[in-house]
Amino acid sequence: MSGGYTGKILRVDLTSKSISTIDTAKYEEFGGGYGMGTAIFWDLAVAPGEWDLKDPYDPRNVLPIMVGPLAATGVPGSGRTNICGLSPETFPSCEFWRSNLGGRFGTMMKLAGWDGVVVEGKADQPVWINIINDQVKIEDAKELWGLDTWQTQNRITSMVGGKTRFGEEWQQIGSTYTTGRPQILCIGPVGEAKSRLAALIHGSGVSARVGGHGAVFGAKNLKAISVTGTGSVQISDPEGILDARLHQMQSPSFLPAQPGAASCMPCLRGDRRRSNYYGGETMCADQGWFFSHPNPTVQDRAAEALIKYGLSSWSAHFHAFSIDIAGAPEFFRKKVPTDSGLGWYLQYLHEQGLLGPGKQIDSAPLPMDQWGELSFRLALLDAIARREGIGDALAEGCARAAQKWGRLETDRDSGALRLPAWGATSHWTMPWVEWAYAYILGAGDPAWHGFMAPVGAPRDGTPLEKSLEKLSKKTIPYTDDIFMFNYAWKGEEAWKTGIYSPHKAKQVAWSRHYSSFWNESMAFCEMFLPELGSDSPEIEIMYYRAVTGKKDSFADTMRIGQKIWTLERAIRVMHGRSRQTEDFFPYMYKPGASGFAIYGGVPIYENGKWRSDPAPGMYLDRKGVDDFKSHFYALEGWDNEHGWPTRKTLEKLGMGRLVKTLRDSGKLGTVL
Amino acid sequence: MAKSKKPESNKKSVSRRDFLVSAGAAIAAGTLGVCASESTAAASSYEPSTGYIVHDSRLCLGCQSCMFACSMVHEGVANPSLSRIQIIRDAPSFTKYPYDIIMSVCRQCVTPLCVQNCPTGACHVDVANGNIRRIDEDKCIGCGRCIESCPHKPHRTIWNPVKNISIKCDLCVDAPYWGKKGGPDGHQACVDICPANALKLVHEPPPQTDVTGYDVDLAPPPRKKVMPSIFEENPTTKQEWGGKHYVRRIYRENTKS
Repeated sequence: MSGGYTGKILRVDLTSKSISTIDTAKYEEFGGGYGMGTAIFWDLAVAPGEWDLKDPYDPRNVLPIMVGPLAATGVPGSGRTNICGLSPETFPSCEFWRSNLGGRFGTMMKLAGWDGVVVEGKADQPVWINIINDQVKIEDAKELWGLDTWQTQNRITSMVGGKTRFGEEWQQIGSTYTTGRPQILCIGPVGEAKSRLAALIHGSGVSARVGGHGAVFGAKNLKAISVTGTGSVQISDPEGILDARLHQMQSPSFLPAQPGAASCMPCLRGDRRRSNYYGGETMCADQGWFFSHPNPTVQDRAAEALIKYGLSSWSAHFHAFSIDIAGAPEFFRKKVPTDSGLGWYLQYLHEQGLLGPGKQIDSAPLPMDQWGELSFRLALLDAIARREGIGDALAEGCARAAQKWGRLETDRDSGALRLPAWGATSHWTMPWVEWAYAYILGAGDPAWHGFMAPVGAPRDGTPLEKSLEKLSKKTIPYTDDIFMFNYAWKGEEAWKTGIYSPHKAKQVAWSRHYSSFWNESMAFCEMFLPELGSDSPEIEIMYYRAVTGKKDSFADTMRIGQKIWTLERAIRVMHGRSRQTEDFFPYMYKPGASGFAIYGGVPIYENGKWRSDPAPGMYLDRKGVDDFKSHFYALEGWDNEHGWPTRKTLEKLGMGRLVKTLRDSGKLGTVL
Repeated sequence: MAKSKKPESNKKSVSRRDFLVSAGAAIAAGTLGVCASESTAAASSYEPSTGYIVHDSRLCLGCQSCMFACSMVHEGVANPSLSRIQIIRDAPSFTKYPYDIIMSVCRQCVTPLCVQNCPTGACHVDVANGNIRRIDEDKCIGCGRCIESCPHKPHRTIWNPVKNISIKCDLCVDAPYWGKKGGPDGHQACVDICPANALKLVHEPPPQTDVTGYDVDLAPPPRKKVMPSIFEENPTTKQEWGGKHYVRRIYRENTKS
């Protein structure tokens, strides 16, 4: 086994209460983390062909919770844990989708000697999984059920705490000692209520907040997973890791932190906070839940309640970055919320006179007159957790609630239900169309910022074209094509070199392949890498080689990324994905669809010239998106009619074993 | 002399460790007699170390990079439990800042009880390397007396369950996987790798008080921006788009409405 891997993956079947192991070597070709998780999902849930892949609450839903080889090796930003499986959150169908979280859970998993834990089945009563190095127990969670996420973690910590020796901070575990606390991943009351908005919570403010996998924990009667590890992770070249870190700390983008900052384990970036109201480690997304409140303490109190209940700040977004867009519907009152969700939609329905006490949609028990206040948010959390009154509909998410109220068609057409695709909360999307395309090609928010700053207006006076040429050298293997970065969206140029052209397909493919390997599988935080303006892609390879001892080039790793992305596609195809189902909500094709541009906007090439443009008026063209799909499918080796991977593509990527399953289901692509 | 300073715990009933202590003492008296007598003779007058690591627990990110670096440069593997510096984050107990993190760094004490209480001379003052207090792994018999006698909680001498010996901070003077020269005149992996600059090597002995002597203010002067903001103004863009003022204006409008 290469350096960085522990060599075994834990498999827990909650139905039969059996605990077994999977040999990591079997899945090493997929890198780690999400790559391995996807392959395990295929092997355990898809390939046997016994399940129709429709209901995420089915005991047959497999939930791989995986860590990458770079975790717990001192490589910064790579200790993230990836969760994948059938997601309750996506709409109209429950798609295969992933989420990830930072903190110290993944690192501890590696130190305990595991590359991940795969949860399947359903316990007959509430349980939690206690992992202490190689000792794994399924424990009774009767006393934990109903507790909030902090209480749960405190209770488990006190239960797991072993004997102490040589002073109270050192705990004895077998023949070893640690000052580390158990690291816990758990759900709160919202997850127990099987709300599709449920997150998985770790520590005081770390969460896996897309996909609603917290509800899958709830459905499996799984309250928490606790890990304590005292082992070692073998590394190929320890000195190489430290050299790469020191090299990265010389980068102009690195700035030492100020007092009160915090970070995941181990990272270079102090972008979390220790010094907030509730102590610990929140980040922007949770505090963004109350973004518009001027008092930071109130923001913190809202974030604290959110984390304790275990609600996803993403799915239950209120709104952020309101902007003025010409042509946007009147009800936005010239303030289009770029990131919107449940909160904003409730206010909209209230203002339209449709929702309120005794109205067509009864708002009880929510105090609609206090919308936007802390009291309203606390009432919302409680209503969802108890599924009380309107909370029952809201627990199913914005899109499903709208469907129940008969508002779906109207509101997704007008943009009041501002969810770009798959019912997922809006997050940037345009003018960064690679982000928008990733929404439909995946199953919602890709949450990948990699190209935003690098395609922005150069700040050092470099001509835009030169800056893009430099950037295109880094996007291996699609180098020397600067039209990849052309965001022209109107007229002939959009089809020729712009957002509906084959050039754009390369950019989208690069972002998906990079993300699949480096962010989801090597588990680098996407806020940390890529740094296309400075260290990437060299720094990734420096870390990768130092840990694993492999000699892969960056192009090799991008091929593994493509392999993971194609495997993910194959799972979706088995589930029913096709060209027709892969579409935006209608508002994306109308004026007002664009968002709030930062970094000086996006590069646009028109009339033979490049310019930076925030493109506030951008919206998509139906035929253009359809043409884009053709280009993208061709580039990926998927058939043009359905977007199904072909036999040739699968074999080229070393996944010939998928062919039979796809062919037997009549879903193997034939003609490119 | 050293024996008169033995900690109370030695008076307990005979445990496995006590047995080892006795065995160690017997070995010391026999084969290693010379070293032991040197150690005890020097107990009252050790030369102070010429290097000390001080820290700032308000500045610490809790990333534990230093722990990984320490175990990697000394042992060649990543394992925070084998690190000679311990950063303890009180998560998930949710203690408030700045008490949520304990930085436990060897203090290279002016009066090193670990050295005084070592029966074999394994824990010694390294005169050739700036008087740092370090453990000779070959001489250590694993009695754990240095760990028991460390006056600080948590103790700064660490038990290595792989080798069954005690280990402690040596300011990287003997770190086989560290590409730089260590010791009081060199570089320490934890100090160099800390992304918050929350660790620093100093050469004068800090006040030997309980906590405050070593937990010092290392904060840089406040920056204008804590993080590089994505909303920074961009000279090539109109202020309405992507400007910080724009975001502020939205704040005001939202709070008004």
